[in-house]
Amino acid sequence: MKSQLILLGAKINRQHLQLILTIIALAMLVLGVGAPMDGGGGSR
Amino acid sequence: MILLLALGAGLVIGLGWAKLRGHSYQIPRLSYLWLAIVAFLPQFFVTYFERTRALAPDWLAALAIVTSQVLLFLFAWFNRHLPGMLVLIIGLVLNSTVMIANGGFMPINPQTVERIVGEEKIASFESGNRIGYKDILLPTDETRLELLADRFLPPDGFPYQVAFSLGDIFIALGAFWILAYQKSTT
Repeated sequence: MKSQLILLGAKINRQHLQLILTIIALAMLVLGVGAPMDGGGGSR
Repeated sequence: MILLLALGAGLVIGLGWAKLRGHSYQIPRLSYLWLAIVAFLPQFFVTYFERTRALAPDWLAALAIVTSQVLLFLFAWFNRHLPGMLVLIIGLVLNSTVMIANGGFMPINPQTVERIVGEEKIASFESGNRIGYKDILLPTDETRLELLADRFLPPDGFPYQVAFSLGDIFIALGAFWILAYQKSTT
């Protein structure tokens, strides 16, 4: 029972980590290739 | 910000869709995650990170942005099997094309900028100057492929004013689709 809980915990953590990494990679992709201008960033 | 909103909306819809069907959320299987990070870094330092952004001359910023976009294209291409990724790739190609044609930056005309920053602030900008994160202020008649530039705006009076390109629309749709899509398990 205890080992099953540990396995379940490990699975949940792995899935969460995978989701976070996926979102980070997609965020980098859209920020990197998109170019909307919402007034942020100022000028130089 | 608008592109991150599309990602967030896609995730919320995907999670809701999975819950309605009674199964767990299917995370999109992205390959070469490291490539996305490596590809984004040069652009991060010349556009988003204020300290180094101020140090980068325009030629270096343009080079970093274009290099970054080429590497991000490879990342997207390696993951083209994902539903929505091809739509995002279309947007990527449209944005990259107009940016390369205009010296590495996304062109935006003074009238569009005026709607976003206001009449007073626009007077302090000169034609050819970088503006925002990746834009360059250019009159319409000096812009190559103007149809693909940051030329679209939300309706007048809309609380969030943002200028976006045709490519940005495809990118937002693709990003939304990637996270919202849940494969049928029946």
